[in-house]
Amino acid sequence: MAQRTAVIGVGQTYHRSKREDVSIAGLVREAAQRALEDAQMDWADIDAVVIGKAPDMFEGVVMPELYLAPALGAVGKPMIRVHTAGSVGGSTALVAAHLVASGTHERVLTVAFEKQSDSDAMWALSIPQPFSAPLLAGAGGYFAPIIRAYMRRSGAPDHIGIMVAVKDRKQALKNPYAHLHIEDISFEMVRDSIMLWDPVRYLETCPSSDGAAAMVLASEAVADRSSSGTPPAWIHGMAMRSEPTMFAGRDQVNPKAGQECAADVYRQAGITEPRREIDVAEVYVPFSWYEPMWLENLGFCAEGDGWKLTDAGATALDGGDIPWNCSGGVLSTNPIGASGMLRFLEAAMQVRGQAGEHQVETVRRSLGQAYGGGSQFFAMWVLGADKP
Amino acid sequence: MTRFAESTITFPYKRSLGPVVGAFMTALTDKRILGIRNGKDILVPPMEWDPTTGAELAPDFVEVGPVGTVESWTWVPTPSVQHPLQHAFAFALIRLDGATTPLLHAVDGGSSERMVEGLRVAPRWRGTRVGRIDDIICFVMGEVPETDGGDTGAAQEPVQRMDYHASITYRNPVPAATDRAVVASRNRRLLGLRCPRCERVYAGGKGYCPVDAVELGPECEVDLPTVGTITNFAIVTPVSYPGQTETEPFVRAFVLLDGTDVVIGYSPVIELPADEVRVGQRVAAVWASPAEEHDQEGGMGGAWGSLLGWMPNGEPDIDDPDLVNRIF
Ligand SMILES: [Zn+2]
Repeated sequence: MAQRTAVIGVGQTYHRSKREDVSIAGLVREAAQRALEDAQMDWADIDAVVIGKAPDMFEGVVMPELYLAPALGAVGKPMIRVHTAGSVGGSTALVAAHLVASGTHERVLTVAFEKQSDSDAMWALSIPQPFSAPLLAGAGGYFAPIIRAYMRRSGAPDHIGIMVAVKDRKQALKNPYAHLHIEDISFEMVRDSIMLWDPVRYLETCPSSDGAAAMVLASEAVADRSSSGTPPAWIHGMAMRSEPTMFAGRDQVNPKAGQECAADVYRQAGITEPRREIDVAEVYVPFSWYEPMWLENLGFCAEGDGWKLTDAGATALDGGDIPWNCSGGVLSTNPIGASGMLRFLEAAMQVRGQAGEHQVETVRRSLGQAYGGGSQFFAMWVLGADKP
Repeated sequence: MTRFAESTITFPYKRSLGPVVGAFMTALTDKRILGIRNGKDILVPPMEWDPTTGAELAPDFVEVGPVGTVESWTWVPTPSVQHPLQHAFAFALIRLDGATTPLLHAVDGGSSERMVEGLRVAPRWRGTRVGRIDDIICFVMGEVPETDGGDTGAAQEPVQRMDYHASITYRNPVPAATDRAVVASRNRRLLGLRCPRCERVYAGGKGYCPVDAVELGPECEVDLPTVGTITNFAIVTPVSYPGQTETEPFVRAFVLLDGTDVVIGYSPVIELPADEVRVGQRVAAVWASPAEEHDQEGGMGGAWGSLLGWMPNGEPDIDDPDLVNRIF
């Protein structure tokens, strides 16, 4: 039986398109120090460090964990680097949680980051590989056909993607850490933005950000003794799944690995009706159409009905019964390696009542989800205010 | 014998240095070397944090050197183009006068016999300095710093970012299945591999089934039709980045080959404008003429050999609502 595990500290940077004032280590330390302060701890209190980021190509620092180990107070302690593409922030938090849940460590610091302004992710994701057809299109070119398939099979009207883009940017205005604060965001502004990867418009995609996220995960004994004054967020369920990217018969729109990952987490948490039993969710939506797609993949509704929930306003912080991405989500902040951890961290903030203006009233349980690569990696956790 | 194909990845990174390394780099442009105080230690190069505890260090900079003592070294008899010197030299740990930690740099020692621990060395500065560690070309023997060429002086503004032009050349082993697919393409044949376990067929010399994790050898080869239907597509509006060659919106199509479950993804289309591409459109393979063929690259990357892409073949569209779901 796994040990009870909780989030007792969270920290993030103010995400921006360029943080030219800090080194990579400085950026990572900013988030880590805030998490330590939130947990009322110091570097010396930490037993192990787990760090994650997306491909090293994004900054051109190969194995940055080597250089970051002393920057994160990890000298003489175990340090693990995790890499699962865009889902890495979520997987990193889960590896850290496993170290506590297994009884190996009592206090684990987990950190994820990306400093996109050091390079160009569009380039890094379009590098010609020998003996492969060149993509030349970054992530958007990869996901556009999958989105077209969803639109056609579900019969979703064109305005759904625009609605999500507007909703998440409006919610970002309530989150001081969010990268994009588009004060005058509107349906017309998104609709009239350039068609970047037909059917995906410019404002229906995520930005490119510099930023980091960090959390302190603790055992029950440590969490019970915590003097931080903010309640812990207990892990009720956690899981990762993967599947091959390309094979005949794969459902790219509603990947099996995502469905099974969700089913595993819900089983652990005793959840049978996610829409009713989860109060708030932070889900990896880098292109607006992924909200209705993941509503279905995560079992919040029947297949084909995701867009109807979005259309009815069910996922809005303002008036919705299952607010999604109250922080503004990946559509408003995308330091790629940290984007998954921000979902997990925001889920913790909601349970702990730390989300300020974008806080949902009375959160008993929250969901954090991240996916990566060609929708081939999934990571999720369900957190609760009560001990599991 | 395994064949290898070379590929080179280059990118002009911009590294932001932060307040501590930035100060160090700024001082280099003024031919000064800074350390940072950490208790009794003077760390060179300076760090933002105590390397043993992680605690933040106050920006208490101390000028050190520029002369120092070699603590340890290794000889590089045949430098690569990316090494700091193009003739034999030593990489050395140099403790600059006043520092408590050694700096790693190159020493132009002439021959390995002249390198000893305790050797006194001084920097050879670049005449034009930009705020990078190679503003010091290398260290030379003796107590007297040198400057190479005309001295253009210190930077006018604090150095905050550093250019880092990365270039890595990989040697990639070419799978035998890829070679066979490329050879077949010269004869206008599209080779597939049928998995003996799940019966799925893969094109493009993949050489294994990702579902069953089994190798697919020559005994699994099948000839695939060279006519198919567009199931889905992306119209990409190119953004500029280093190496981007496209300037106008372009199409990448997914083509389901007739009578199979094989989808060839991200294919270029030929004589099919972006505003005319449709799901259900019928297309035929377009091959390079022998004169256009070259070793590894084709319009679709080396895996496809002489296959350049797909062109409408004039047949009426296929109306099947499930087609759009066939992506790969
Ligand atoms: Zn198979």
